[in-house]
Amino acid sequence: MQSNSLTETMHHAEADSNDVFGFWLYILTDCILFATLFATYLVLNYSNPMQSIQLKQYADLHDVLTETFLLLASNFTFCLSILNIYQKKVLKTQFWLILTFILGAGFIFMEVSEFIHFAQEGFRWDVIAHASSFFTLVGTHGLHVSFGLLWILTMIIQLPFIKAQHIAIRRMTYLGLFWNFLDIVWIFVFTIVYLLGAI
Amino acid sequence: MISHLLFGNLTLDAIPFHSGIIMGAFAFMMLATFAILFVITYYRKWSYIWYEWVCSVDHKKIGIMYLILGSVMFLRGISDMVLMRAQQAIAAGQYHGYLPADHFDQIFTAHGVIMIFFVAMPFMFGLMNVAIPLQIGARDVAYPYLNSLSFWLTFVGAMICNASLVIGDFAATGWLAYPPLSETYYSPTVGVDYYIMSLQIAGVGTLLAGINFIVTILKMRCPGMTPMKMPIFVWSVLCSMILVVLAFPVLTVTLALLALDRYLGMHFFTDFAGGNVMMYINLIWVWGHPEVYILILPAFGIFSEIVATFSQKTLFGYTTMVWAIGVITFLSFVVWLHHFFTMGAGADVNTFFGIATMVIAIPTGVKIFNWLFTMYKGRIRLTTPMLWVTAFFTTFALGGMTGVMMAIPPVDFQVHNSVFLVAHFHNVIIGGVLFGYFAGFIYWFPKAFGFKLDEKWGKAAFVLWVLGFYVAFMPLYVVGLEGFMRRNDHYSNYYFQPYLIVAALGGGLILLGILCQGIQLIVSFTNRELLRDHTGDPWDGRTLEWSLASPAPLYNFAVIPKVETLDALWAYKQEHLGESIAHLKPQHYAPIHLPKNTPAGCIIAIFAGILGFALVWHMLIPALIGFLGIIGSVIIKSFYFDPEYELDEATIKKTELAHFKEIAECKAIR
Amino acid sequence: MNPHSHSHPDFGTAPKKLSIYLIGFICCILLTLLSFWVVMIGTLSKGLTFTVIYSSACIQFLVQVICFLRLNTQTEQSRTNVMSFIFTIVILIAIIIGSLWIMRNVNANLMI
Repeated sequence: MQSNSLTETMHHAEADSNDVFGFWLYILTDCILFATLFATYLVLNYSNPMQSIQLKQYADLHDVLTETFLLLASNFTFCLSILNIYQKKVLKTQFWLILTFILGAGFIFMEVSEFIHFAQEGFRWDVIAHASSFFTLVGTHGLHVSFGLLWILTMIIQLPFIKAQHIAIRRMTYLGLFWNFLDIVWIFVFTIVYLLGAI
Repeated sequence: MISHLLFGNLTLDAIPFHSGIIMGAFAFMMLATFAILFVITYYRKWSYIWYEWVCSVDHKKIGIMYLILGSVMFLRGISDMVLMRAQQAIAAGQYHGYLPADHFDQIFTAHGVIMIFFVAMPFMFGLMNVAIPLQIGARDVAYPYLNSLSFWLTFVGAMICNASLVIGDFAATGWLAYPPLSETYYSPTVGVDYYIMSLQIAGVGTLLAGINFIVTILKMRCPGMTPMKMPIFVWSVLCSMILVVLAFPVLTVTLALLALDRYLGMHFFTDFAGGNVMMYINLIWVWGHPEVYILILPAFGIFSEIVATFSQKTLFGYTTMVWAIGVITFLSFVVWLHHFFTMGAGADVNTFFGIATMVIAIPTGVKIFNWLFTMYKGRIRLTTPMLWVTAFFTTFALGGMTGVMMAIPPVDFQVHNSVFLVAHFHNVIIGGVLFGYFAGFIYWFPKAFGFKLDEKWGKAAFVLWVLGFYVAFMPLYVVGLEGFMRRNDHYSNYYFQPYLIVAALGGGLILLGILCQGIQLIVSFTNRELLRDHTGDPWDGRTLEWSLASPAPLYNFAVIPKVETLDALWAYKQEHLGESIAHLKPQHYAPIHLPKNTPAGCIIAIFAGILGFALVWHMLIPALIGFLGIIGSVIIKSFYFDPEYELDEATIKKTELAHFKEIAECKAIR
Repeated sequence: MNPHSHSHPDFGTAPKKLSIYLIGFICCILLTLLSFWVVMIGTLSKGLTFTVIYSSACIQFLVQVICFLRLNTQTEQSRTNVMSFIFTIVILIAIIIGSLWIMRNVNANLMI
């Protein structure tokens, strides 16, 4: 005869496992979303290259490198916050989440500045397809990161209110999958958009 | 300034007072709406509707709501059909018929959009919701709240499409809105924006439902139900949802890019500044082809269930059926170019996709033979669902044949975009998808509502539908081969007119068939006591859903079953022939955790609707309200940490004992 | 069924360890630096530069998937995760390569 709390724990464990799997499936749909944007970017740039306006005339690879490290570092600090939530250290989790937020916000700040700078210099989304696809692909990634930042903020505020640890772990796992995934997409963004564009 | 931020481009001019047809349709819609609102108020059912239906997270109720949505939108789609057939029947030579060209264009666009997105998809999700959790021995889907959200998003998408009828106009571009016609320059009105917003919102709902059912099927089957013991309907839904999850993001992106072109002046699909129109067509069909398989696979699953049940035989070749479904799922991602053979790709590309398209017909053929072999030497009962299946065999096979014909690029060059194509896809969609969903609807109706549908009116509807289909579409094959192109509001060559008149008559027969279906619903409801399903197993079924009461109790299974074979219920019945049901009563009932109802799904969908409608009319403040409303609702909902409640043993025991008593009384009467 | 085996949820990810996170972090930094360096100095041939940055991206992808996402094949759930991931990637490649092939053909014939 199993005790009630053990049954509860098993029920929660199974439900949590299902929930995280569902979130993983959502991440896979986001992969397809980004793949489509990449395909569009590649088609609009390499099938009809118009020499008049190109990204490499405007982009500064040093800035991109800094952005990359900011995002990578935020990925790492998030992993540290996950380690802490598993050990029920809510304050430390919040600390690393705040750090993650700052690094991520830095990334967004740099990216928005870059976009504004481009637009002022004439590399605008409504001028040529190459620019449209650039702003859309990189901008969609940036939008995802921005939603992630809002989520991190919500999580920081919410964590002290979550009494059941399994709920906190599950929600942090979702956010972790999301945040890690965004850094993975960024690998391909900086490679295919910035580096390839600069050759 | 403020009024511009609030109302955007929306003015009273947006309402097409000049069009009698639209104003008539609007008046009819308003009458019907007010009648329903009046009835609800008169019987004081507002709180019941709100708490028990709008806030419901119960898959059984959500399934019924999907079916209602699909049926209501079906009436709109059929009205479009009637208008088009009537127009084409009379608009020959110099006469341009009664519909202005722009209106005709909106009608065929709306017909396609409504039938695919707001009839077929909701119907499919409706049947899935009603049947899948019961078939796998589960108490609900994996994410009940997301299930509710998915429904309400689809509902809001449909309402936005309906709003376009009376406020502004709809896209006049065809159901896939090819650029450059759908770009701002050639479609300056709000029509294409309505199209984009309604599809994007419904698309999110569909994607979430896809994830929901994949997890449900993979992770919530009852003990003993290994994948190869699942009913075939469950396999077909699993693969269909895998297609949803992989294909719908492509649609989301493609429509978003079109929206960016229209709203921010970007150049993805413009015909200058580097835009590439063909990329839209390529991407939209990367989604579009899997979409048709998303629709047909559950229909195939339904046929498997019905053929096995009404031949009283195990499905022939279960393993090959599963393989066939899997192969179709994978192959459906490598055939999309066959929708645009004529649009500029070279011979090598066309050949690859042509061969791939022909190959995909093979697993479908395997399935058809398996169904026929199941029927062979079975004890066939020709109930209405089984009749739909027999019609499916011939109709779908014919449609598939014309499809394989068009898979040959040189042939396709002759018939692309003619009504031969139109006849083909209606052939497979009506013969396959629609007949399948009709059959499934009649089959599972007792499980959802507790009484069967009237057989006589069902058979009448069947005869009229099948006859009507052939009379409506066979002439189209003929004139299609002779050069009559699609989407023509009028034509100068009188030669085509007799065929189109016959086609219109066919449309009329279909309309009569639908009338019979409507009468069937009314008659069945009136006679529901006579048609009551007392045992929960009106068809002598083979799968787990028939082991429950009709309608199933809130918690589905009081005790989660353990299965050992395929067609578990049939095996159980064979083992316990003639035994009393007393042994069915379990020794103990345990409390059951159930999810709480929540208004969150409906509220988020309403904000999404506000956002969508506001974006159509460039109303900035309402758009902001909608957007912030969605985010705010999601965040607020996330603070509700305990979305479950416990149903006590006493209630469960009472419900179960009442059911056993009803079975016993029923057996006593017989 | 061992009652204790299900008391911790199986997310299909490997156990989270600081050492693995650190290793992953450092590998990613190095790979990123390599890609940027190769492009910014510009002395290698175009083909070789392509190869280096593509390979670096793919390796960094694997590093992140294994070290940060902790994808593995130890438990049944993790195998489901990996299988669904691989299937998604296969379809993704079919869509991208198919689209590029088609569009290259179409652009050549239609001169868009």
